[in-house]
Amino acid sequence: MTTTDTSCQLDSAAPVQEDEAKPFWQRFDRWWLLFAAVVIMTAWLILARPDPYRRAFVFLQDGIRVTVSITMVSFLFILVAGLIGGLGRISKNPLINGISSIYVEVVRGIPLLVQLLFIYYASPIVLRGLGRRLLDIWPGFATRLIEIKLNPFAAAVLGLTVCYGAYMSEIFRAGIESIAKGQMEAARSLGMSYFQAMRHVILPQAVRVVLPPVGNEFIALLKDSSLVSVVAVADMTRRGREFMASTFLALETWLLVALLYLIMTLFFARVVAYLERETTFVH
Amino acid sequence: MSTNIIEIEHVSKRFGRVVALDDVSLTVKRGEVVVIIGPSGGGKSTLLRCINHLEAVDSGRIVVDGIPLTDAENIDKVRAEVGMVFQLFNLFPHVTALENITLAQRVVRKRSHQEAEDIAHELLARVGIPEKADAYPVQLSGGQQQRVAIARALAMQPKIMLFDEPTSALDPEMIKEVLDVMLDLAEEGMTMVVVSHEMGFVKAAAHRVALMCDGHIVEETTPKELFTAAKEERTKQFLSQILI
Repeated sequence: MTTTDTSCQLDSAAPVQEDEAKPFWQRFDRWWLLFAAVVIMTAWLILARPDPYRRAFVFLQDGIRVTVSITMVSFLFILVAGLIGGLGRISKNPLINGISSIYVEVVRGIPLLVQLLFIYYASPIVLRGLGRRLLDIWPGFATRLIEIKLNPFAAAVLGLTVCYGAYMSEIFRAGIESIAKGQMEAARSLGMSYFQAMRHVILPQAVRVVLPPVGNEFIALLKDSSLVSVVAVADMTRRGREFMASTFLALETWLLVALLYLIMTLFFARVVAYLERETTFVH
Repeated sequence: MSTNIIEIEHVSKRFGRVVALDDVSLTVKRGEVVVIIGPSGGGKSTLLRCINHLEAVDSGRIVVDGIPLTDAENIDKVRAEVGMVFQLFNLFPHVTALENITLAQRVVRKRSHQEAEDIAHELLARVGIPEKADAYPVQLSGGQQQRVAIARALAMQPKIMLFDEPTSALDPEMIKEVLDVMLDLAEEGMTMVVVSHEMGFVKAAAHRVALMCDGHIVEETTPKELFTAAKEERTKQFLSQILI
């Protein structure tokens, strides 16, 4: 580094942009305009050409509800699974670390579609087989295993949670590890336990670091939830297939389905961007 | 109660192949201010960090205020009695100066919000920045951050304060404001172990000085003798390099 006078002046003269001072139209997130354009286009299709768009939209409505609820419910479980998995991955206990590492590595290596098919179609066979073996030792439990019927919604949530929980574990691990080591040391030197330090010092900071990738995962999850249509869940994609099967209107059906997904993902992308801006340390 | 508040006996510690501490023994009496000096990589910080078990020793024994650093429960007890100030402050950046000082009081000492805040305001006044309570760490100068860090440690009412090069990350004009706080503490009779090369502080406040080099304590002496009659060649050589 040079220590001449000129470089010193250049450093101190670096312009400081005050975000607060900017007028509204400069602070305004212009990607909302794209969102608005897609909403207007979809609304125009539904209103101006009720046949088939309005008909399709009405038919798809409960599918939209299923898609949104499956995404929301799964995401809550995924956050919990990711936090546990992430803490497991940084644990110094070799057993805990081993189990969470194997979970992450195995799950990341299998396509989500295959995992969903396995959970819905193959795991009942495994459970039934297990039940037959347990029949003599524990008859009550064994009969319940043999007669098991998986609820499609639950199977879908389980599949999405297992798969995305592994990705989320890695995001949380990286987020926690990005917080300087001195933070944990300072907290521990004040007498906090490991978990107190995690809860009050490390995680509140890590949340800000992981927010963008977690937001991306949410949007990816929303899109990947269309895969659950293969395990008998009547989500938006499956309802779209049903509508097409009865009307043979492939172009109109899939155009509307695509637009509806796009509206949702564009909206949540803006929400994530907003949260990101709002959670910097100093406003 | 014994007069020795810290007893370090034959402690060794290595990081991989590097021997950081090699059979080090040191005792600190109640109310004593001990300054550890020496070249970097000599094991000063490691020794300090062993006292509150931020580093685990490989062999040897450390007893703090009659509590041996053995199981996790004892370690937490010792940490509650030992305050630590770091070279890079390590303030919690996501909360204000005030909350930096109240957090551990509430979580560890289970004090009420009100009580913790009263103590925090009092301590901020004591370190000379009562007006900075609501500032975030990034809005404070290095010297101010370090003073908040000292207040944060003092809020736990420690019996011992450890300082790990508290002024080496500071601009020259901010060193004094931190040293003044440390001098006040020393005058009040706080037991302090300080890793520092601030010879002004050594002259003004230290009862004893230990020079560490290559994982050994090479010489233990009083400040007066250090400057006038150092016995070891290594000490003289070190002093000649820092006292230009």
